[in-house]
Amino acid sequence: MGKFIKDRKPQEDSWMPYTGLEDIDSLPGGDIYIPMEEWQNKREELLLRNGKLGVILENTDDVAALKDDLDRLDLIVLQFPKMADGRAFTQARLLRERYGYKGEIRAVGDVLQDQVFYMQRCGFNSFELREDQDIPSVIAAFDEMTVTYQPACDEELPIWRR
Amino acid sequence: MYQYSQADHQLLQERVSQFRDQVQRRLNGDLSEEEFKHQRLRNGLYLQLHAYMLRVAVPYGLLSSNQMRTLAHIARKYDRGYGHFSTRQNIQYNWPKLEDVPQILDDLAKVEMHAIQTSGNCIRNTTSDPLAGVARDEIEDPRPYCELIRQWSTFHPEFNFLPRKFKIAVSGATHDRAAVAVHDIGVRLVKNDAGKLGLEIYVGGGLGRTPMIGKLINPFLDPHDMLTYLEAILRVYNRLGRRDNMYKARIKITVHETGEDKFRELVEEEWSQIKDNGLRLRDEDIENIKAHFKDPEYETLSDFDADYDAAILSDPEFAHWADKNVELHKKDGYRVVYLSLKSRNQPAGDVTANQMDAIADLADKYSLGAIRSTHRQNLVLSDVKLKDLHRLWKELKSLDLATPNYNHLTDLISCPGMDYCALATARSIPIAQALTERFDSYDYLNDLGDISLNISGCINACGHHHVANIGILGVNKKGVEVYQLTLGGSAREDASIGKIIGPAFTADEIVDAVSKVLDVYLENREDETETFLTTYRRLGQAPFKERLYG
Amino acid sequence: MTLQVYSASLLKEGLVAYLCIDEDGISWSTDLNKATAVDENSIDSLKAEAERSEKENIVVGAYAVEVTQTANGLEPVENRERIRAYGPTISLPQSGSGLSGQHAA
Repeated sequence: MGKFIKDRKPQEDSWMPYTGLEDIDSLPGGDIYIPMEEWQNKREELLLRNGKLGVILENTDDVAALKDDLDRLDLIVLQFPKMADGRAFTQARLLRERYGYKGEIRAVGDVLQDQVFYMQRCGFNSFELREDQDIPSVIAAFDEMTVTYQPACDEELPIWRR
Repeated sequence: MYQYSQADHQLLQERVSQFRDQVQRRLNGDLSEEEFKHQRLRNGLYLQLHAYMLRVAVPYGLLSSNQMRTLAHIARKYDRGYGHFSTRQNIQYNWPKLEDVPQILDDLAKVEMHAIQTSGNCIRNTTSDPLAGVARDEIEDPRPYCELIRQWSTFHPEFNFLPRKFKIAVSGATHDRAAVAVHDIGVRLVKNDAGKLGLEIYVGGGLGRTPMIGKLINPFLDPHDMLTYLEAILRVYNRLGRRDNMYKARIKITVHETGEDKFRELVEEEWSQIKDNGLRLRDEDIENIKAHFKDPEYETLSDFDADYDAAILSDPEFAHWADKNVELHKKDGYRVVYLSLKSRNQPAGDVTANQMDAIADLADKYSLGAIRSTHRQNLVLSDVKLKDLHRLWKELKSLDLATPNYNHLTDLISCPGMDYCALATARSIPIAQALTERFDSYDYLNDLGDISLNISGCINACGHHHVANIGILGVNKKGVEVYQLTLGGSAREDASIGKIIGPAFTADEIVDAVSKVLDVYLENREDETETFLTTYRRLGQAPFKERLYG
Repeated sequence: MTLQVYSASLLKEGLVAYLCIDEDGISWSTDLNKATAVDENSIDSLKAEAERSEKENIVVGAYAVEVTQTANGLEPVENRERIRAYGPTISLPQSGSGLSGQHAA
């Protein structure tokens, strides 16, 4: 099992990624997340499925496409294909702040100690760490900076109005 | 000046600790160079041709005398006794050791300075008019708006890994001394006919491989909406900016490829969703920040001083300097003084530790303890009494900081070029020095009048050659450094991109080539008041081309 | 005949250094003339050592540099590499010397 942190604690990850959905009945049981495209193709059927469901987005996907489905989704997985590609920061903030998503937002890919501070501020609450990361150091990094100037998911107001 | 709050101090301390840890992890191998690079760049640390280079932020170009003393201390203790002021008003050290950088940052933090976001693909230090708050042509003081942008952009969680670097400049005067047209976002404070304050928002300016002038995407934004609007622009850019090709990743390309109108539409659409959130500025938010930038206690003085007039008459050298390097101040009896960092003896923008300490002392003695850095790589003492000018000049002269050339030919911008820079393809400083030596005559410079000459050592254009009246670009042609000449650029309110005049010149030829260009101007100007740029725009390239290659 | 040396930046100091291999093992020197110069066919042995030093976090960004043997020692072929080897081609600003000694404009 990979290194996984949720809500600032190391946890067992109950979720399984799944792709290649053709027949709804062939879906395995348990908590699964599937690509956005497959979600959209089989949305009606998937909505009837029992069990938790999640979706993984490309970082080029428009999160607005999911806005009517957010109540049904327990997990949204956003990707950092490399550390320098910060598009998922915007996706996460929009999900939380604009569309009011309350479920789990998970970061996957190049999820590194020096990034998680920014990720949590943008609304991520779970992290599939890259294999070489040190879990205690990553957990400490959430609190490495305590001063924040601007509003984000964790603060509605800028520092000058708090 | 902005006074740091407890939170500001704490943020710097936390950042120093964080970076200390990152350096430690790099040294013991827990961080790869590739990943460390992203982290060190976000703290202004490059690995250059000879050594590391540390870029320290000078927020919107404002420095206190104590801060300047700390800069001198760092130059002396951790570097080789000097620093270099850049076109973005920051200071760079060329020789720090990686191991020392956390301690340097700690020393800086004690005087409310840092290197946060001075590099990397994030929002960089906001730049501004070096005459903010004292300019006669000021519409509104830009500094409070710069400070709000500083706070908003510092460790912005959403915009710290943008497609490419992002530079913002703010100007609040009729004349643009901050080159807002060539920034990713340029903000100009303006007033409408009813006297109401608003912001012109320009997006997508920039130099480099594809120089572009910023597009006006909002002609009159309510200042209360500044930060929500900037957030909307950045969000559109973070989503749409290209990440497949770093040469096409700046917002200027995004705007160009999306189309100006469509881009504006996207920004407005995004903005409409966030414009009333907590980032919208209230009157009291602006007023609270403004309180940090109140006028100092100016004395009521006459704008005439008999001793000054006598010195002007009796000392022609002083008169030359006063004519060139001194500007009017909004208060009678005060003047703004440019300290030229363009002498014959040092590369453009370079200042030694001894000079820094001396400048700090002069600022305390003559200018209310404040110093500013400028986009054209000079320094400014902003509040000097008319009656003190002669004494100040003598001291500046002994420090080699009184070359009377402000906004004249030898007040040239030069990037460090291949003498320092890992990206450069040709040297800039030796060309700048050759030009400075050739055009050394005060009378000649005076006759040429207002003109700009900028030199870049590669296509990345850190020397802003595209927006100089005369621009020089050094390139490597089959192992030889050659220099292309561009004419007709401007970085001011009439901003334009210069055009390449023809085949490049060798290092031995380029000074003569500049001389010929100047001859054509002097022979063809309508009268002495017609500037080089006006003459060039009237005549076009032809006569210059004819003289150079005919 | 051109030879090759291996160059990189020292991780801690950032300074330019050259790979030296001798009976005592490998080291990195800021002096080009201490560098081990080989002909093109033997460059792989230098490359392997340089990469090992990168892995061991001693140097950063190692690459081969073309040099020639001259009467004064090894000299890089390219202008950029000459500047890396010998330092900036301009005189550096001097704090201590006092400006009055220099010619003022």
